[in-house]
Order: sequence, then structure tokens, then C-alpha cells
Amino acid sequence: MADRRYETLVLIHPDQGEPGSKELATRIRTLIEEQGGTVSQVQEWGLRDLSYPVGKQKRGFYVLFEYRASTKGLAEIQRTLKLTDPVLRYVSVRQAENAPPAPPRPAKRSEREDEDFDGAAEFEGMGEGEA
Amino acid sequence: MARERSERRGKSEGRGMRRRGMGRRKVCRFCADKTMLIDYKDTRVLGNFLSERGKIIPGRITGNCSGHQRRLTVAIKQARTVALLPYTSVYP
Repeated sequence: MADRRYETLVLIHPDQGEPGSKELATRIRTLIEEQGGTVSQVQEWGLRDLSYPVGKQKRGFYVLFEYRASTKGLAEIQRTLKLTDPVLRYVSVRQAENAPPAPPRPAKRSEREDEDFDGAAEFEGMGEGEA
Repeated sequence: MARERSERRGKSEGRGMRRRGMGRRKVCRFCADKTMLIDYKDTRVLGNFLSERGKIIPGRITGNCSGHQRRLTVAIKQARTVALLPYTSVYP
């Protein structure tokens, strides 16, 4: 079966701590490899604030995996992630074959510089439906 | 692509296309700037297309073309599942 390029972003419980999340990341990496996948990149984003609480936690560790795997392998990886308790959430996305590898992790909220991209305020006629 | 079309339309305005009111014609940002990619991890870009309440702003208001708007909404929803973006700004 042809391999496909995938990307999975995993949200890890903050109680794991930095070493615990790193260890879990290597475990997930071996899990992918056990399923016949080849990992091309692992990015650790570190502890970040969540947009909304998940499992009563307001922060969490994000780890991004880029790899190739078969469809069956992906299904098994996702099944295992679901069973892994410290994994709060994950999202797997298929990447285009010619897509560039993910750039190093996006800047944290604090070190984020303002872009010349002014946001929603510019949109004319924008109305908020409910109050 | 989209920009060329809008310039052409600017000259021959009135043919079928009536522009009500004044104001700049909206151009899809992703068509205008090819370097701007839709990625669910890029909350900086996606956040521009959310209302203050965290709702997705419709394409008719942002001016995004239908193809890009569709991919944008998918990306926002992916980002929401991993708590990169909010479902709502008001905590449930």
C-alpha cells in the first residue's frame, strides 16, 4: 500500500511536565515507526496556553510529528493515541506530497510581533449578531 | 488573478454588476498574496478571520473567494479541536 504524508499535532497533559512530555513524544515516535511509518520531523512547541480549557487544564504541551505512513498505520496510530491518557487531543492531517516541511514552531504568544496585517476591524459592514 | 479581474471590472462598471454603496472592492487575501498559506497551525493568520466571539467571519464580509474560504473554515475547525483557537470567547 502506498504511503502517505501525514502530520499529527498532539496535545499533552501539562502534569506530564517537560521531561514527561519529551518521553511521551519519543514513545509516539516509536509507535509511528512500529506502524511502518517514517518520521521526518518532530517539533516540540513546549507548554502553551490553550484557547479553552481541555480536561480542566488551561495549558498543555504541543508536539508535532511529520511522517509518512500507510492508511492502516495511521488508523492504528490514532487508535493508540486515543487510548493514551496523557494525550488530551490530537489532530491528524494529510499533507500534500509537495508541501514544504513545517517551519519551526510558530512564535509563542508573548514573543509574537505585530504584523502589518490588520485584522477583522478592517472589514466593512461587519456586525456581531448576538450581544 | 483576482486582482486583474477586479481592475478590468473597475473600468466597465455598471454592466450587470451594480456596486451598492461606496467602499473598496474586497479581494480575497489568499489570492492576492500567494505567500499567505492556509495552515491550521498558523493561528496568527486564522485569527484574522474570527470575530471577537470566536466565530468564523463569512466570506461575503471578508471578501475571501469561495475556494479559500472553504479551506480556511476547515483549517479553523482543525485548530479548534486541539485548542489552538477558541470555539467561543465566552467560556461555556
